[in-house]
Amino acid sequence: MLGDTMNTNLPTPSRDSGSQQRSSKSRAFFQSLLSHAAINFVGLFFLLPFLWMVLTSFKSSQDIFHTPPRWLPYDNVRVDVNGEQLPVYKVKTDDGVKQLAAVKIVEGVGTFVDPARPTEMFEYEIQQGTDVIAEPVMHISFKWQNFPDAMDRGSRPGIGASFWVYFKNSLIIAFFAIVGTLVSNTPVAYAFARLKFPGRDLLFIIILATMMLPFQVTMIPIYLFFNDTLGWGDSFLPLIIPTFFANAYDVFLLRQFFRTIPEEMCDAARVDGASEWQIFTKIVIPLSTPVLATVTVFTFLWAWNDFTGPLLFLTSPRNFTMALGLQDFQSQRTMVWNQLMAASVVFTIPIIIAFFFAQKTFIQGIKLTGSKE
Amino acid sequence: MEELRLRKQKWTWPPRLPKWGFRERSNFKIGMLFLLPWTIGFLVFTLYPMLTSFYYSFTIYHARAPLEWIGWKNYIDLFHDKLFWQSLYNTLYMVVIGVPLTLLASFICAVLLNLKVKGQSIYRVIYFLPSIVPTVASAILWLWILNPQMGILNTLLGYVGIEGPNWMSNPAWSKPGLILLGMWGMGGTIVIYLSGLQDVPTSLLEAAELDGANWWQRLWYVTVPMVSPITLFNLITGVIAMFQYFAQAYVFRGTQDLGYPLNSTLFYSVYLYQNGFLWLKMGYASAMAWVLFIIILICTILLLKVSERFTYYAG
Repeated sequence: MLGDTMNTNLPTPSRDSGSQQRSSKSRAFFQSLLSHAAINFVGLFFLLPFLWMVLTSFKSSQDIFHTPPRWLPYDNVRVDVNGEQLPVYKVKTDDGVKQLAAVKIVEGVGTFVDPARPTEMFEYEIQQGTDVIAEPVMHISFKWQNFPDAMDRGSRPGIGASFWVYFKNSLIIAFFAIVGTLVSNTPVAYAFARLKFPGRDLLFIIILATMMLPFQVTMIPIYLFFNDTLGWGDSFLPLIIPTFFANAYDVFLLRQFFRTIPEEMCDAARVDGASEWQIFTKIVIPLSTPVLATVTVFTFLWAWNDFTGPLLFLTSPRNFTMALGLQDFQSQRTMVWNQLMAASVVFTIPIIIAFFFAQKTFIQGIKLTGSKE
Repeated sequence: MEELRLRKQKWTWPPRLPKWGFRERSNFKIGMLFLLPWTIGFLVFTLYPMLTSFYYSFTIYHARAPLEWIGWKNYIDLFHDKLFWQSLYNTLYMVVIGVPLTLLASFICAVLLNLKVKGQSIYRVIYFLPSIVPTVASAILWLWILNPQMGILNTLLGYVGIEGPNWMSNPAWSKPGLILLGMWGMGGTIVIYLSGLQDVPTSLLEAAELDGANWWQRLWYVTVPMVSPITLFNLITGVIAMFQYFAQAYVFRGTQDLGYPLNSTLFYSVYLYQNGFLWLKMGYASAMAWVLFIIILICTILLLKVSERFTYYAG
């Protein structure tokens, strides 16, 4: 799991005499209680929004507007009347509160029938002043239908755009970005890690310096280059092609790893007449699967998550990625929070799955790019 | 010896090139071949765009119309542009308040996760998971959480007797809302801090304990200085990232105009995007980009200079 090696900062109770032992024991108990309370309380801040996202994705359209909000998803209790599923309301009639099925509700006036005798219709106002006459009967129910609804409708139905298409687009871009990143960064990193030639260190400093450069500086010329010069606007190419030309972060990450591979192995191969390319492909790459996995996972994360790139280059909805499609969906239909959350859950699930398959890789990658300067 | 030679090379101008032997010569050729992907990428996607955008910053350029040289006018106009100053203020607000708050919070979280409690690894997963939720998804989720009437945050605040603000429609609370969103996804920073905490030598903590230091004193006088290089790293990367803050703000306005409410979420990069891609003032946007670059450079150098006095490097 996340931490195999750990040491504790908690004081270890000193064990001198009996009375001291008892007091330090109770102190340790108190401290343990305190740390549990703190870690759980802060944990709620991370956990509850997650829970809220998942639970909202199962709510009915009525339930998302319920104030105050409830955690669990509620839906109308429905009853079959002449083959139609009608919502049940508690209605205050002249002879007491009755459970009636609502046929329709127009401008605050509802038409109800008694499910037992579906021929008679009654009309009641839903609300008289502050007095609620008819109240829907709800029960806890998970509305799975939100997921297919959200996926099918997308933001702009009718023009071949849906979250299925966005999902596919995101996968395509992520796949090629991973291929490009692996193919282009490994030889560059190898040269910096293992080949000694004049000017190498200067070039490496230039690579590191490009990390400092904000994307905003190069954004406009790159956009014009792809869009106007090459005519690649509204295609995946501007998002994929740059990954085939190496980037500072991955070069750095890979170089750090390549340097840990024993030089003697490479030298032995050189003595046997192997070329640098052979050493690179036959020795270094096969020994580097952990770091290649890290690069793969992080490239996937980056490509899956990227919003600015697709926003600049993709204009027609059938080319949108999940990130862009979700933002578009939100701006088109602000209030369908249940479907928005369902789409968000679908958007998040591949990453959660990747995380549970490659937890060590995730943490290792963060540590490699982060704490080691 | 080698160090001496390097020093000598560094300080002579023009630099004296070392005599290239056969090995260097062939290595150089092979090396250049290996570096080819990066070299092309650097020329096409870094150097050329840098020079071009610097050139654009002195022109009026609307992408399709021919560009027109106007000298320093873009930079002078920026100086008189109220929205420019507003966007700079908004961004500095996030850099000065948001980044340190997030660092402090992630340090506290890392300390908590380093405590010996049952189910530690599960807690670590819970603290980390939000950071891998895609930016757009987490921004939309927080729009929903911060909804004044139907959102869960104001409901929870209501239970303890606090009347929550209107978050995303109140200019005073929109940026704190975004900071909360950022804190929810600070798992990466927590992980870096946590690995730093695990590198603090146990011997130091034990020595401090023998000297009678309590838990707080050990935290403050041993742990905090020992992780100060990590704090500096997180601070610099956090500041650089915050100056480029874009996607969350773009999503957070809901369906309103960029910067809603009342330009309170019009951050530097958002305003730059608006100029360059919505109003097609690409020369003006390029000037903004270069000003941003200079600001980031100055901030980074300042942080590095100031931190020399506060950062402890072991060994």
